[in-house]
Amino acid sequence: MTSEKTPTYELPSPEETFVEIECCSRTKTGETACGDDFRSVRIADEGRHIAVLSDGLGSGIKASLLSNMTTTMALEFVRRNMEIVQSAEIIMDTLPVCEYRKISYATFTVFDLLPGGLTRVVEMDNPPFIHLRNGHDLKWPADILFSERWPDRKLAISKFRMVQGDRLIAFSDGVTQAGLGSDACKFGWRREGALAYIQKLVDADPLISARELSERVVAEACTKNPQHRCIDDISCLVIYLRKPRRLRLLTGPPFNQEDDRDFAETVLNFDGHTIICGGTTANLVARELGRSISTDLKLIKYCGGLPPPSKLPGVDLVTEGILTLTECVRRLESGEYRDAPLPVSNIITFLLESDVIEFIVGTKVNEAHQDPRLPVDLEIRRNIIKKMSGILEDKYRKKVMIQYF
Amino acid sequence: MGNGSKLKVEICLGTTCFILGASELQDLAQYLEPELLDRVDIIGRTCLGFCKDRKFDGAPFVRLDESIVIERATVARVTEKIKAMLKEKDAE
Repeated sequence: MTSEKTPTYELPSPEETFVEIECCSRTKTGETACGDDFRSVRIADEGRHIAVLSDGLGSGIKASLLSNMTTTMALEFVRRNMEIVQSAEIIMDTLPVCEYRKISYATFTVFDLLPGGLTRVVEMDNPPFIHLRNGHDLKWPADILFSERWPDRKLAISKFRMVQGDRLIAFSDGVTQAGLGSDACKFGWRREGALAYIQKLVDADPLISARELSERVVAEACTKNPQHRCIDDISCLVIYLRKPRRLRLLTGPPFNQEDDRDFAETVLNFDGHTIICGGTTANLVARELGRSISTDLKLIKYCGGLPPPSKLPGVDLVTEGILTLTECVRRLESGEYRDAPLPVSNIITFLLESDVIEFIVGTKVNEAHQDPRLPVDLEIRRNIIKKMSGILEDKYRKKVMIQYF
Repeated sequence: MGNGSKLKVEICLGTTCFILGASELQDLAQYLEPELLDRVDIIGRTCLGFCKDRKFDGAPFVRLDESIVIERATVARVTEKIKAMLKEKDAE
């Protein structure tokens, strides 16, 4: 048998730009559904990325419905290059009319990123977006379009070119109006306040990820409100054009023992982080590279019933394999990973902070796992990785490739 | 080494051992009497590989002083074996 070593597609060259798109939302305190909605798509064959943030009128289920319909339609219309005023009219015609307010309404911001950095932004009534380059908020002239049928609605359309290192930031008014009426910010945090905070964060950490930046902005907005409650739905969408952050995750020993050396060497001279999930795998790499593994048993109490992580020089993280990966998949699937056991949260942090993830999967079957005393749901490694890569691609917008050994 | 005179207790934390009982064994230190605890050096190990060796009966595995392999290890069995080995050492 020959091992399949061809990547499923070419990895981007180091100079290539990765478009990281992340949105953090918090639901208004007391509501069960978030009235803001975010949706994005990566159209690989066109090299295009589209992201939409919408804020539905009011809060709760009704607002959630309005914003969900808006993001769904906006994304689809933009993707099909439909005329934008007509698209906005269809959205407004379609949204159900609020029984109290007698209007149908949801704001939106659409970011449409084309290959080569050409970018189009369509805004309707959200706080104006921020285009951050080297810490400066760039201002672009916008075309203002009106709908004949909805004269009170106006669309602002701006076009410009982005370069690596640029960020686009959009938020719902839950951010700009945070703290409204309080002594500290009588008119709310406002765009200026949020911008200054973002500039401070980027200045302190010029490579801060879109994920972290969006989370920090939302968290800071909450602190402006009395008792840090969400007095409105609060969302922040960040797009960051960056050099891809790479992660290589090794799991499982190679099918043929003669490939052990090649397999182990994949952790050497790699421009990114490396993780090994699997004790046997870690031992093999340690043996081939002449290094030794150490395990700190003091960490057990943070491991929530999983084996503790280990250390191997030159590798960023070593954990047990199947059990830990299975728990990772479960957590990534549900999105509830904040209180995950130590080894799981370590892996998930690396995964989410990376743009391009390479799984190097050894396919040798661990005979010991066939012991009938073991639970039947002890998954086969290849299945776990297949499932995990699907979730990372679909839900977390990562570029994933799997290489089998 | 620094722990030259201490008895080395290696607990395998590979997947198989972990499921079959090493998850409890890793807390061994909590179960040992203080005078025993002072004389051992407990270490967690990534898979020691005994589970793949038909020579052995079954996981979980604990290795003492790099030579004695305890199969189907439990806290009680390991404690007993530690005591016996320390007694031997004292007799030497």
